[in-house]
Amino acid sequence: MSSEALLAWARGPGFDWALAIFVLGMLLRLFEVLSLGRKPDLAEGRGSGVQGGIKTVFTRFWPRLTVFRREPLRIINGYVFHIGFLAVLFLYAPHIELFEEVLGVSWPALSTGVIDALSVITIASLILALAMRLTSPVLRLISNSGDYLVWLLTLLPVLTGFLAFHHMLLPYTTMLAIHILSVELLMVIAPFTKLTHMFSFVLSRWYQGYRAGHRGVES
Amino acid sequence: MSDVSNDAQMREAIGGLEVPLQRALAARFIENVLSLTEDERIKRVLKIAANADADEDQLSSALRSAKAAALDAHARCGTDGEWNDQAGYFVARAAEAAVAPRVRSYGRGPAWQAALNCRMARTAQATETDEDAHGSESQAQYRILNDYLNS
Amino acid sequence: MSAPSIEKGINFIREQIDAEVASFFSSCVHCGICAEACLFYAQTGEPKYTPINKVEPMRRIWEQEFTLWGKLKGSLGMANKVTEKDFAEWETLVYDGCSLCGRCSLVCPVGNDISGMIRKIREGFAAAGYAPEGLVGATTRAIEIGSPMGVRLPAVQAQIGHLEKNTGLTAPLDQQGAEYMVLLSSMEIMNFPEYLEAVARIMHQAGKSWTISSKAFEATNSGIQIGVSDLARELVQRVVDAAEDLGVKTVISPECGHAFTAIRFEGPNLIGRPFKFKVQHILEVLDDLRSQGLLKTEGMEDARLTFHDPCQLVRKGGVVEEPRNLLNMVASNFVEMTDHGAMNWCCSAGGGVSANERADELKFTAFKQKKSQLDELQVDTLVTACANCRIMLEEGLEENEMDIPVVGLTEMLAEHLVEDRPKGDA
Repeated sequence: MSSEALLAWARGPGFDWALAIFVLGMLLRLFEVLSLGRKPDLAEGRGSGVQGGIKTVFTRFWPRLTVFRREPLRIINGYVFHIGFLAVLFLYAPHIELFEEVLGVSWPALSTGVIDALSVITIASLILALAMRLTSPVLRLISNSGDYLVWLLTLLPVLTGFLAFHHMLLPYTTMLAIHILSVELLMVIAPFTKLTHMFSFVLSRWYQGYRAGHRGVES
Repeated sequence: MSDVSNDAQMREAIGGLEVPLQRALAARFIENVLSLTEDERIKRVLKIAANADADEDQLSSALRSAKAAALDAHARCGTDGEWNDQAGYFVARAAEAAVAPRVRSYGRGPAWQAALNCRMARTAQATETDEDAHGSESQAQYRILNDYLNS
Repeated sequence: MSAPSIEKGINFIREQIDAEVASFFSSCVHCGICAEACLFYAQTGEPKYTPINKVEPMRRIWEQEFTLWGKLKGSLGMANKVTEKDFAEWETLVYDGCSLCGRCSLVCPVGNDISGMIRKIREGFAAAGYAPEGLVGATTRAIEIGSPMGVRLPAVQAQIGHLEKNTGLTAPLDQQGAEYMVLLSSMEIMNFPEYLEAVARIMHQAGKSWTISSKAFEATNSGIQIGVSDLARELVQRVVDAAEDLGVKTVISPECGHAFTAIRFEGPNLIGRPFKFKVQHILEVLDDLRSQGLLKTEGMEDARLTFHDPCQLVRKGGVVEEPRNLLNMVASNFVEMTDHGAMNWCCSAGGGVSANERADELKFTAFKQKKSQLDELQVDTLVTACANCRIMLEEGLEENEMDIPVVGLTEMLAEHLVEDRPKGDA
């Protein structure tokens, strides 16, 4: 298959399939969670569950000082690759064009210079995250093959995108096709990994926050 | 001074005593319930409490012994409570009270605190049998106090 | 209770998996931050005490039975099923190495209530017969005798007698229509009788009516600690029946940690309906009295002191300000630990750990976390409001040759009560 044909497929049917699997897969995961239901809390309330739930969805974005003191690098690095990855994904002009095609909305972009720098930072951050996962005794115990697979799936789009932009490694058309295919691979596999957290974190924070808010306790 | 025959009088009489004398009095109260414990450390603590010239270091080390004795004797959370052993726990706490420094400005003095714990010790031991141990221990304490004051 | 079995254990764990649990496992990204909040990990350095690791058997059951991918793996024979070996291996992680303190739940970036999951997984372990001996004994005694430590009514009556003789006040038994019904923990009845006396004196000064039920005086709920909801339910039901029979307005949970969350929050959910009475911790009641001007104290302690926050009361019970309000009434030199209030560190003996002799060594190792807090602060007195914490603190301090006296907050307040301070105390 020629590189042009590969690229066309990646941009066409490949993307459609990947998107469908991603959306349906994530919806299925959410359904798997929500369908289990939960019993209402019959204890006398002392506060608002709704307020607690909403508050907690946001407050958990900020770390608690007591654990930050113990693992500052790991925590800071987590912010770096999340922010970097999301910025490159959502604030790069060609990506925004794609979103506009799919969702019908667009928004301002960051300059390509900034995106370029962010890509490098994100890649470095991901490599550091892997190093930490491989050397920390706690992380080695609780990590499984899924963690390493997801790491690779997350790294590839950023890396191949960077390579494509700079016309490095392979001819542009091929590199671009690989970049898009790597994204599609991520999309297709994501619903079956811990990447479900990108949506379910709202639920988990909400659930704990709701219960805590109802009881009037810290969350 | 007329003899003490109730708690109000007992507290008033004790209140008039200086701390070293209170410690000595506490030691006497505890001697009366010594049979309820098998812990040898208590006897040593009593010796120090009874000594009006005991210095801070001696009192400190006595306190540590008494605390250790109390911890060894106390009922562990969730275990089958043995009231006989609990008696020993309260004797140890009485001993603690007898030699503890007055860190907190409020609360009971050494003699009164020791007396209450001695009564609790007697009550603990009698729990299985239902006698009015408390009452009889109080009477014994009035006697001890009167003897002490009159000596 | 039917005989334990692995199958039963797995079934019980499965039953605990609801939308909340599923969302937690779906969101966990293996960041390991929960370990940094756990005192057992902090002091042993052993990764196995990482909180999320403690519920790994539950995660496997969730994945295999409630996710498409897990079911696929299962049909291909690739599922890593939970076996007896896992119960044996995880028992000490689920019981000995966890006091259900709840710090992990507060630091998880995705909001997982890990401590809640550990509480749930205990249901399965108990059903499989993999719960610590000490806890099993305590729960059996609680069910059969009415107290985990075998404390029977005569013992309580003896305490009441002691109280009457010392103060001239009485503790009325089974008083219909009293405003408050007081519960006592066995630990208090056996080790800290001054608590009851303090309550009596304070209630008397405040002019409040109160009572103790001869049929349900026990506050401790060992069913919660071991993780057997059926037994926990029975223990709660006794209190509910007594309180509703007597028509009391409020049931007071004493200075005991788990007793409070057990009756206040788990209780109605266990019996399947709201209570017809309120539940308050004694400190909440005292703080109410304080704000109504009914708690009159005099004098201040000037010793440098701090407050150890019992996990179930403060972090999980939300009673954060009350102890501070009360302590400030009688202490002029009250300093806070660096991690205080809802983020304070556990005494290491909660959640059934103190009833589990096998966990002693681990417990004392974990205690060093509390020790480090105290070393930093250099106080003369340590105040707390839980009988279990109190004994652990005393034991831990003794083990580490630290000479800090530990005192209960209610007792301390009673020492400063304006009326009826015994005359003639030096």
